[in-house]
Amino acid sequence: MTSSSEEVPEIPLRRLDVLATTPTASWRVLKPEIDYDKCTNCGLCVDYCPEGVISKSKKVSKSKKGPIIDYEFCKGCGVCANECLKKAIRMKPERW
Amino acid sequence: MGKIELLSGNRAVAYGAKMSRVQVVSAYPITPQTPIVEYLAESIAKGEIDAEYIHPEGEHSAIAAALGAALGGVRSFTATSSQGFGYGYEIIAQAPSYRQPFVMVVANRTLGWYWSLRPDYSDSMTARDLGWIQMYVESVEEAFDAVIQMYKIIEHEKIQLPGMVMLDGFYLSHATEPVNIPDQSEVDDFLPLKKLLPHVVDPSISKTFGDSQFLSVVELHTTYRRIFEETLERAKGIIKGITKEYAEKFKRDVHGLVEEYRTDDADALLVTMGSMTTAARRAVDRLRDKGAKVGLVRVRFYRPFPAEEIQNIVQKEGVTAIGVVDRSISHGTWKGPLALDVASALYGLKDKSNLIDFIAGMGGDDVRIEDYEKMLNKLLEATNKKSICETEFIEHRVKPESPPRLYKNVLRAPGTNGCWGCTAVLNFRHVVDVLGKNTTYFFPPHCLSVCHPVMANPRLLANFAAGAGYARGLYRAYKVRGSKVRVVTVAGDGGTVDIGLQSLSSAAEAGESILFICYDNEAYMNTGIQRSGSTPLGAWTTTTPTGSGWKGKKETPKDMLAIMIAHRVPYIAFTSPAYIHDMKSRIEKAAKAVDNDEGLAYLHMFSPCPPGWRFHESKSVEIARLAVLTGTWPLVEVDHGMFKLTYKPKELLPVEGYLKLQGRFAHLTKDDIGKIQEFVNERYKGLLALDGKKLF
Repeated sequence: MTSSSEEVPEIPLRRLDVLATTPTASWRVLKPEIDYDKCTNCGLCVDYCPEGVISKSKKVSKSKKGPIIDYEFCKGCGVCANECLKKAIRMKPERW
Repeated sequence: MGKIELLSGNRAVAYGAKMSRVQVVSAYPITPQTPIVEYLAESIAKGEIDAEYIHPEGEHSAIAAALGAALGGVRSFTATSSQGFGYGYEIIAQAPSYRQPFVMVVANRTLGWYWSLRPDYSDSMTARDLGWIQMYVESVEEAFDAVIQMYKIIEHEKIQLPGMVMLDGFYLSHATEPVNIPDQSEVDDFLPLKKLLPHVVDPSISKTFGDSQFLSVVELHTTYRRIFEETLERAKGIIKGITKEYAEKFKRDVHGLVEEYRTDDADALLVTMGSMTTAARRAVDRLRDKGAKVGLVRVRFYRPFPAEEIQNIVQKEGVTAIGVVDRSISHGTWKGPLALDVASALYGLKDKSNLIDFIAGMGGDDVRIEDYEKMLNKLLEATNKKSICETEFIEHRVKPESPPRLYKNVLRAPGTNGCWGCTAVLNFRHVVDVLGKNTTYFFPPHCLSVCHPVMANPRLLANFAAGAGYARGLYRAYKVRGSKVRVVTVAGDGGTVDIGLQSLSSAAEAGESILFICYDNEAYMNTGIQRSGSTPLGAWTTTTPTGSGWKGKKETPKDMLAIMIAHRVPYIAFTSPAYIHDMKSRIEKAAKAVDNDEGLAYLHMFSPCPPGWRFHESKSVEIARLAVLTGTWPLVEVDHGMFKLTYKPKELLPVEGYLKLQGRFAHLTKDDIGKIQEFVNERYKGLLALDGKKLF
């Protein structure tokens, strides 16, 4: 009467130990770029990034630590640049 | 002499309601119906129609208000879909018994299936047995026509029942087609203003009313059900007459209970409903071109069911195989409801046709011309056989693609669907980080639930009005099993202050140790910026538009702080994404109260929304900060009754600077802003007076 449903699990389930996700870089029109000379590594952008894709205090040069933007997921909203007290983040047109 | 306009299905419905001169509109946002009531709100705001608009807290009240207005003798209108239909079901079931007509439009969408937004008839089919007149339309123009026709049908003195018009969600509700729109005067001529019924509920003019006590006499119930059945039987002739009159007056091709398409001398016949019919017509054309004797019948009016029409076609054309296309299923019978009805209609015939039920298009799955060709070919094969009664599922197997990036053993991964600069996403990621792994989340519908935050916690869809209900059950289960897992409900402002309020209130009063988080973006943003109980004074939304009559929301927002204080819960805090450290410590304190089993903890998180509030996405946090600095959004904590303003600006900034950044306040005059300033000042003064006091 019906065709079998072998390929689909009877109950659709999601794993908690492996998180599968899709990059959102293609959303970006403006790209934030951090000027590490101005950056004081205060961490405001890390806290305020809506998507949580700025990781804190990584080594960015021999003598300096600073935040790193994950450009695979940054959507380019510009909250980080707007909030940076040192104006160390600039939004530049994305060139795809 | 009328005009032709390009309209979406939803706009056509709203146009139809407008031209029917509806007097009361009551509805609650739900996809895909929402634009109907947005357009009607716009028409009222612009002064195009003189109607009352009701913004209730959920469909339960929305449909009740439409019925209430009908009881009061005016032409009333409501619209819903899917879960909203389910939530309003109690009233839908009650409505026919009052014998006071009103129209409800249903933009069909699957009922009770995870996050399915697309159409099938699982919502409206649940109401097929209740005594409503039900009509399913195929095109946008027919949706427009249906509203006007339906008012005339249900207000007929020999009917007086509520009427339901169904259009497939998205396929029709959001599809744009040309519609011939008659002049208002012609519509007025066809559908005069509603006459007051002798049993209108109004003791100043009426000597009677529909007496529920009388109707509840047990012995009479069966009798009244028969009377309903006779009324619906009588309705068949009235429907045929009225739709014919409409078709002649407004030059439409179709009228009657069913529409036949190329049924002449057909051996095989498809029975269809709704927008799926259009593709079926093309399949019939293709097979007819090859000489096959196939045709179709579209059921326009499903209740009353056109049993005689189907019998007559089958007998007249000598049909030997009938294929029913069902966009819903009656589980446990291997049949869809339409097939059950068709089978029952054919049962009395001497020579029974073969019957195949095709279950198709569930959850909005597209049923293609090729699918119908296969169905018709299968039917043609069956024409030579005897006593076939089968069911076939029209399935389109796809393998779900797994997202490409994998993160192992982490609490949270990036990659949400949130809009640019979304502070709900920002707030929530801090919640996830602070609360950690042993937490289960319930999400009543809101933006975050469709943003799909990627996280290692179970995240379950709770129904809109039951956010706290789900949580308290799970909390008790964990308690019984000794499982140390925290239960959190994250609701939007609608899911908290409107539709979710009684569920929250009950769980709070009962001392359930759950964490209830409201992220407040001050409107129904997930459905597209409709007014909620939390929308601030003066704000534009799609259901509080600006126009000659309206100037955004007229009322001040519901005071959730006072409401939660009145419940004496152990912990309450109002947070802002501009003050992350403050916010994190509030989340920790709330979690502690819950973990210590002290009762419900409540967090209310301010969540500026760039598209809904009309500001640039980079300004989200700036606006959140300004809200605190102007006193518009005071940061408050009530810790076991101890009231504290957790951040007190030395001097409040004027609200104008906060309002000016947002397009939703762009229409406000100096005077309007002055009124908002007054409200903010007064409220802040009240809070200052409570600062440092033990309230309970």
